Amino acid sequence: MTLRDEVCQAVTAVASPAHAAGDAAGVARGTTSDLTIDETLLLHSAGWEPVDLVFGISWWSIPWGVWQWTTGEVQEASAAFTGAVSHAAKQLRQSCEQSGGSGVLGVEVGVRVSSHHVSIELTGTAVRRAGADAHRFEFVSDLSARDFVLLTRAGWWPLGLAAGASFVIAPRRTAREWAAQQGQNVELPNLTQALYLARERAMERMQQSGAAMKAEGIVAVKLREGKASSSARVIQFVAIGTGVRLRTSTHRSVSPEMVVPLDEQVRAFDVRSLRSASAE
Amino acid sequence: MAATAGDELPEAATRRLAGGAWSSGLSVADFASCLDMGMEPVGYVQGYAVLQWSWFMATGGFGTGLGAGLAGIGGGWSRPSQGHGQYVEQWQCPHGFVSAEHRMYGANYELTWLEQSWAMGWGLATSRMVEEAKQLGASGVVGVVDPMRPLVGGSTVEFRASGTAVVVPDAPRPATPFSTYLSGQRLAKLIEAGFAPVAVVATLSAVRMLGYCITHYQLAGSTAGSWYGAGAGGVSGVGPVDQVNRAEAAARRLARERVRAQLGTDILHGATLERSEREIGEGDLSIQCTLKGTRARRFKDFDPLPDATPVVRLA
Repeated sequence: MTLRDEVCQAVTAVASPAHAAGDAAGVARGTTSDLTIDETLLLHSAGWEPVDLVFGISWWSIPWGVWQWTTGEVQEASAAFTGAVSHAAKQLRQSCEQSGGSGVLGVEVGVRVSSHHVSIELTGTAVRRAGADAHRFEFVSDLSARDFVLLTRAGWWPLGLAAGASFVIAPRRTAREWAAQQGQNVELPNLTQALYLARERAMERMQQSGAAMKAEGIVAVKLREGKASSSARVIQFVAIGTGVRLRTSTHRSVSPEMVVPLDEQVRAFDVRSLRSASAE
Repeated sequence: MAATAGDELPEAATRRLAGGAWSSGLSVADFASCLDMGMEPVGYVQGYAVLQWSWFMATGGFGTGLGAGLAGIGGGWSRPSQGHGQYVEQWQCPHGFVSAEHRMYGANYELTWLEQSWAMGWGLATSRMVEEAKQLGASGVVGVVDPMRPLVGGSTVEFRASGTAVVVPDAPRPATPFSTYLSGQRLAKLIEAGFAPVAVVATLSAVRMLGYCITHYQLAGSTAGSWYGAGAGGVSGVGPVDQVNRAEAAARRLARERVRAQLGTDILHGATLERSEREIGEGDLSIQCTLKGTRARRFKDFDPLPDATPVVRLA
């Protein structure tokens, strides 16, 4: 059947009474998904199907005053981040289980930090094995469908989101240091140490959360860095990735084929189709 | 202007649609793809609706001092006058004292008037777009875009829906042309996967959160009341802000359920969820979620696809 025939069949299905809607696949209720059609097709080829759009969100409070009169790490903010991620991930899992999914893919992670709260927003699509009767919860991942398929082909399995953060107030120089460093291009050890430590702590916490879920490693780690408030001296480091574990005895090579594309990205088309369209 | 009466479209629209060259909002690549699929563009179609708009509605001093007591006891002179919809929750101060500064009661409730206004604006714009497509005898509208933008100061907004009407010559015309956010190759793949686009669907859910004392303390970073202990309403510092979390979850749940109610047994493809928040006052938030996507109907079974071949591009 050609694509044109399929389009005719599709439009005929829309034109026919709605009572026939969706019955071909035996779907009991409407499903929702934020996957692209490419991702849906790829997942289906790997034996998975989307079930529902699922969410998890958590706001955690940060007490007043922790950002003032101090330097170094703001422990309360880091603790609020950890608590919020854990709480949001728990909600996401519950939402996935309620919808009958086995895992959540393509999780978008939203992080907002203000003076008095941290909020974590997780949005993804619950998926399950196509045709399976029972669905046991297995994973949450911010990997795309393509990365998920590649990862599982290589023998690895996603477990959950691993995240860590560190919020630091960069220390000021003493008057003596400031005076001694005037007119010179020299390292500022207090700033180097503060930023170095904060980055390492964020990564360390992420790895600890990976280890807590018995992950062997964390893939697709994303590091976010920037101001955490209106002050340039308050800096946040957030590290998020997917904890993975090897399910087979050894890593399996996916052995990709090498291709040399000979065309440009612009889609070629038959000019005659333009003539036939205008002639009609 | 009625959304469904074709003869009430603007005169210029009727003239434009009646003759002359056809127009299309598709890129050249998407245009070529549509022709490949046997979809012939017949015209650029559009619909508009301008609404008087406010994100807020006066609610009085809900939750504070005496007003809070009256609201809590008698059903509330200071509550919004319109219905709460499916979702309403209340919180009560655990400390047991009254003052002008202390928020004795808190509430989360659905802003049905905002949801209904949004649904009206979006519905009018899209139905007018589809009406133009009907006038052209189209089978459907592809590549729909539907922004909402403020217009003329802060109290009016414009809902806009536009897309390219297409005809499939060999298929029967649906009574209502289909519509989809997709076009070009993505639409071709959707159909090849066995899904027919039915209609664009969208909803806005809105939840107002009027914080009670604990939420107020938490959002202000205060540790007031910590001497009570957490079990008796103390705020220790770092911890979940339960009232906001409930409001956020409700807004998303409502959006999903409302869209699902429009699907029947069809699916929502390519969903996009946008969340926004407006701080009306300290401890007083309005949270909105917009969920959009293409309603799609399975018209044939999924053809099993072969395993995808991983490739490395050398270009």
